[in-house]
Amino acid sequence: MNAQTWKDRLGSLHYGQMLLYAIIAWFVITFLILPNLNVYYEIFFRDGSFSLEPVEKLISSKRAMNSLKNSFILAVSLMITVNVVGIMLVLLTEYFDIKGARVLKLGYFTTLLYHGVVVSASYKFAYGENGIVTKLLAGLFPDMNREWFHGYWAVLFVMTFACTSNHLLFLGNAIRKIDYQTVEAARGMGAGPFTILWRVVLPVLKPTIFALTILTFLTGLGAMSAPLILGGSEFQTIAPMILTFSKSSTSKDLAALLALVLGLATIILLTIMIRIEKRGNYMSVSKVKSTLVKQKIHNRFANAAVHFIGYALFLIYVTPVALIVLFSFTDARSISTSTITWNSFTLENYARLFTSMSALRPYLVSVIYAAAASLLVVALALFASRIIHKYKNSRLAMALEYALMIPWMLPSTLIAIGLVLTFNVPRLIVGNTVLTGTHWIVILGYIIIHIPFTMRMVKASFFSLDHNLEDAARNMGARPFYTFRKVLLPIVLPSTLAVLALNFIKILDDYDLTVFLYHPVYQTLGVVIKNSTDVEAGIIARAMTLVYTVVLMIMSGITMYLVYGRGAKDR
Amino acid sequence: MSALITFKDIQVHFGSFHAVKNLNLEIREGEFFTFLGPSGCGKTTILRALAGFVTPTGGSILLNGRDITNVPIEKRGIGMVFQNYALFPTMTVYENIAFGMKVKKAKKSEIDAAVRDIARKVDLKEEHLTKKVSELSGGQQQRVAIARALVLKPAILALDEPLSNLDAKLRIQLRNELKALQKKFGITTIYVTHDQEEALTLSDRIAVFNNGVLEQVGTPYEIYNHSGTEFVCNFIGDINRLDPALIESSPLRAFIRPGKVAYIRNEKVNLAPIEGEDVVRLRARIVDREYYGLYSKYVLELEGGSRLKTIEKENGRVALEVGAEADVYIRPADIMQFDRTERGH
Repeated sequence: MNAQTWKDRLGSLHYGQMLLYAIIAWFVITFLILPNLNVYYEIFFRDGSFSLEPVEKLISSKRAMNSLKNSFILAVSLMITVNVVGIMLVLLTEYFDIKGARVLKLGYFTTLLYHGVVVSASYKFAYGENGIVTKLLAGLFPDMNREWFHGYWAVLFVMTFACTSNHLLFLGNAIRKIDYQTVEAARGMGAGPFTILWRVVLPVLKPTIFALTILTFLTGLGAMSAPLILGGSEFQTIAPMILTFSKSSTSKDLAALLALVLGLATIILLTIMIRIEKRGNYMSVSKVKSTLVKQKIHNRFANAAVHFIGYALFLIYVTPVALIVLFSFTDARSISTSTITWNSFTLENYARLFTSMSALRPYLVSVIYAAAASLLVVALALFASRIIHKYKNSRLAMALEYALMIPWMLPSTLIAIGLVLTFNVPRLIVGNTVLTGTHWIVILGYIIIHIPFTMRMVKASFFSLDHNLEDAARNMGARPFYTFRKVLLPIVLPSTLAVLALNFIKILDDYDLTVFLYHPVYQTLGVVIKNSTDVEAGIIARAMTLVYTVVLMIMSGITMYLVYGRGAKDR
Repeated sequence: MSALITFKDIQVHFGSFHAVKNLNLEIREGEFFTFLGPSGCGKTTILRALAGFVTPTGGSILLNGRDITNVPIEKRGIGMVFQNYALFPTMTVYENIAFGMKVKKAKKSEIDAAVRDIARKVDLKEEHLTKKVSELSGGQQQRVAIARALVLKPAILALDEPLSNLDAKLRIQLRNELKALQKKFGITTIYVTHDQEEALTLSDRIAVFNNGVLEQVGTPYEIYNHSGTEFVCNFIGDINRLDPALIESSPLRAFIRPGKVAYIRNEKVNLAPIEGEDVVRLRARIVDREYYGLYSKYVLELEGGSRLKTIEKENGRVALEVGAEADVYIRPADIMQFDRTERGH
């Protein structure tokens, strides 16, 4: 674009628009670029000159190197286990004719109701030292170690079942798109059910499985709450280690370096994933596609085995949720001993949520943070998408788009470390104030990590708009902002509100980012729930965690229903 | 009649692509004027340049003698109807029509009167006004789009392929409605289409474009029967290109000027004897026949192997069967002759 064109464009801008563009530019530079560059500075130029000392420190730290090794072991293990379980869930719900598949699906989808720290806390509640599952097992095997549920296997178990949501959503969607005529054609050529599955169905799903595998690897690599709650001292991974190091001023550089290692691994793997995505999915060449018909398993033994696996998995998924709901209605004694009698049931825990300010406080704090951050991130995405849509061929718009995608390429741990290290001193660019430890940095952190998802969704709505609408409005004399407000915004609003609701729910129980940034006086739900899993946690705190979890699940359930379920179709 | 719109030496470039090349054209007041041409010929670009969505890289556009080349879109007084109507999906029919007046901050009572008046004129019922545009049929949507454009009392109504997304039956129905509305309002209308049938049936005059160049301006009759260029003659209607070997070996030779390519429209190749001077009779065999009910299409093979297509109304005569011998009658005046060009082929 030449100088004259830019001059013309800038000349046609209103002061309001210019201010808006300036705010977006400031945000990108201050919070997306500066903190990430500062991480490098803090590691390699801490004393003003280049030094590899932190690298040497990292290599010589047995704990740090162990955590790196453990993270990679966990990530690789999860790649296998999540795929095995995830593919199995999809086949059970979408491909094979399983009795009660709808109920099974509901059970498998419970992972959408709670995330991160809440999942780990829930599994610990069910399988931990005082958990009911452990109690039942101890009844069967009196000599067993009641502290069996910790370390690598516990983390792997919980994360395997917690990370299958993406398989259910994306692989489920991919398998539903398979053209059934290809299955019939293979059958016509004499292929058996498992040959068809192996040679016709699974190859079509390969690109989706690859992408999901990488996402799973990244989740494993950056895992925070599961290793923290269940890993114990013998299985420490990078993210909790970064948290530990970041708390001491002498090892902050080590925390930053570990976060950088995590970031580099993420960038490399996401680059691979983008390439796989670009290679594209297999497209059906059928003119008339036919819907996949569920396959009956004719072999009795195989059919029974598949049904058994389906229901066993259902139990694993549903147990923590059912126990959390059940025990949230019981008294302190029941919760601490995992025993229930008819007299145990009470509404006291729920009553406390609404009568005790200290019980309600984490909820209020999280709701306020989540509301503020999800509103602001959606507003930012709306304006940024508008700019990118309007000037889609300009370099500045492209630069803005890439800058806003930075958080997608970086783990939240690195983003958090970047923010903490950058804004723990007064910076002119933010009005010469310190942000670390304030509400602002918490909200900013939430905004930053939710930008990529929000941008993707909001931008997609903008790009699906008929460009003639804008021309039509201009033809009738409408100014750009009026057109945006009256014509474009009402069209993109339903999908924008859906994104807002999803962000709100995700922020509400966030722990992985919050733990680095939270204001010590205003603990969020995630932090409180994590603390309730500590050995020294009081019984009231543990009881309240159950209530928080149930309320969170209800809120997530309503959101999911409105965004993806029948609620969305009714709108 | 004086020109309402004048395109003077208009050039439009998109980067290195020369979309409109030196356009000079006048459109008269009250005309139904059509820009016709294949995809990518520049017809929509010219319309968008007139409406102000595209800035010409050269030349000027005059409206009633006033240069409007750099006048903002909303001040040009051009009501635009888009290809897919571009109705605002979140608004009701009433809100869509009222949009422009609201932008202009007209009084509520004024808006209400104008909206109801224009809705009546385009045959939109009162109950339609409260509906969402998605609840309307294609025809009703078109009327809303026209009403929305006309409510601002523009000097010109510009329509960008408004019928292209519709099925054939609805297209014909709406075409007739459109023509009736234009007559009713008497507004100068510029219509963009790639459909020759639409152009011929609707227009007072047509401008045919190819590769950004204006090929011919004329009435539908002139464009069809006296095509100005080889491209126009090929683009409009079905036509036979006369084989040079046929010309050389037949009495046609006397009527075709040397070095020219010759065309004759299918319906001007007659299987029944015709009156007139210099009628050329050729001997042919029927090699193919497609029956359409109202008429049949024939492929004829002449002596020497040249082929001609013709169309014959089913008027009770015994149809000619494939393999039958027949005489073919051609009136030399019906033959169109052009200099040989690359573009025409």
